[in-house]
Amino acid sequence: MPVQGIRAVTAARNGVGAFILQCKRLDLHYCDWAGSSRGMVAFLKHQLPAFAKENPQIEIRVSPRPHKHPVLRGHYINGREKAICVRNLEPEQILQKANLLKEASGEKLKKQKKPVTSLNESVRGIWSPYHGDLKSV
Amino acid sequence: MKRLQLQQWSGSALSPRARPACGRLLYAGLRRQTTVSSTTTDAAPAADAGVATSRQLAQAPVLAASSQMSRRLLPSPPVEAARESAKLAALHARLYLPSRFPLETLARTLVHASADPNADFNNQSLATLGDDLLAYYATEHLLCTYPRLPLTVVFAAMYAYVGKKTLAAMAREWGVELAAAPGGEVDPGLLQFHRITPGTSLNTGPITGTTRPNDDRTSWRRGMTSRVVYDDHFGEPTMAPGATQQSTSNITPTVTAEEASATFVRAIMGAIYLHAGRPAAKRFFSQHFLSRHLNISELFNFSQPARDLSRLCAREGFESPVAKIISETGRKSRHPVFVVGIFSGKDKLGEGAGSSLLEARSRAAVAALKGWYLYSPLDVRVPSSMEEDGAAPWKPVYIDPGEVVV
Repeated sequence: MPVQGIRAVTAARNGVGAFILQCKRLDLHYCDWAGSSRGMVAFLKHQLPAFAKENPQIEIRVSPRPHKHPVLRGHYINGREKAICVRNLEPEQILQKANLLKEASGEKLKKQKKPVTSLNESVRGIWSPYHGDLKSV
Repeated sequence: MKRLQLQQWSGSALSPRARPACGRLLYAGLRRQTTVSSTTTDAAPAADAGVATSRQLAQAPVLAASSQMSRRLLPSPPVEAARESAKLAALHARLYLPSRFPLETLARTLVHASADPNADFNNQSLATLGDDLLAYYATEHLLCTYPRLPLTVVFAAMYAYVGKKTLAAMAREWGVELAAAPGGEVDPGLLQFHRITPGTSLNTGPITGTTRPNDDRTSWRRGMTSRVVYDDHFGEPTMAPGATQQSTSNITPTVTAEEASATFVRAIMGAIYLHAGRPAAKRFFSQHFLSRHLNISELFNFSQPARDLSRLCAREGFESPVAKIISETGRKSRHPVFVVGIFSGKDKLGEGAGSSLLEARSRAAVAALKGWYLYSPLDVRVPSSMEEDGAAPWKPVYIDPGEVVV
């Protein structure tokens, strides 16, 4: 047989065709009694419905966690989770934290060294010493 | 071009039918598939589906009273549970599914046939339709974009676009979670299937019961041309329908997570086609499948590229290829580099660098062959683009004689 095919798997490029939001679940924990949850309780009462409405992609779970500080926990498609303690925060600050969890990819934070990362080959190609005019020493 | 009438042939997948009494007499008739409210329309708005659900809840007070207990007896979640699931609504929004695509159907696509053998409640029919659609759209894209690809590479590229592994990876990247075990009380937003027992061997020797004649003769050659006729779109033998039923009738069927996830993605494709129509299905395919990255030039595995190239030049009437050294360095050293070009007359067909003359020549021949096989015409149109309204007249696409026969 002259040529065989090699089986491969296509690689996802999120956002090239469709965009899948990476945050799939947001857990909100609060305490009814403790003062550190005051902002969280106000957030749950007044701002969470609007937040949930404009982010239908995220499954939202609210559950009490008595005698503990309030916590936001985001679960991501890559299997990781991120938790933020929101004790003594105002509702507006908690909304900022919730947006931060929503926009995160779930990966560990790392420094982006290159301005562009791409799966495509470079158009220009790799420099070769054997092409072009040869320099004599 | 004549339009297909959805109603005439998709009735079994869309019509509301009662679950036949199969050992669960109490629930026979209480559980209905309500993906679509009536047969007059294939595009039920979400409000209609909700009305249908509430009507059936009123019909079944027994079920509502002891719903938690009765749900445990069902093999898969009841239809009315779809509206209560947050996971399901989130998945619907995450995939940007059209609003005409009801949550009840989304719940049905998540039930594999191994979890619920009843064809009215599992995703088998939707997956069959979705598989055909995926194969059709992927095939026409590949054949029109790369008309000269060898058949083996077409099979490999098909596997890369719509193969089992890719579909399972897509389901994972969509955030679909797997249920530990199927059941009526499980959240309908989880993918439900019976898992294969750990330690089961997946490679069970030669496959028999396929659609091929003489498939018990394992030593017989399976030629490329016969794969087009007998096998599926990846060049793999397809099981005859009678054979699969016999083998799975006595024991509970179990599948791998990969197979169940792939079936789910196929079923989503079929369900979008049925509920939202052809343009939406095509858009979903281009957004989720074609947008993925595949470098087709990495799918080739040549065994004798120089021989293939000389055969190709003879067939096409080019001058026979000659390899010439373009430049070299360090011939007597420990790491020499030769740059060899393959010329047909005055035209350079390909070029390659290697640490020996033979290696450089075969790399150059591979480059020349890939340059031929990966030809792609400009302004590619696929046959399914003729189904759009106001499509321009069809111009025949480029058809190639095919790969070189050695």
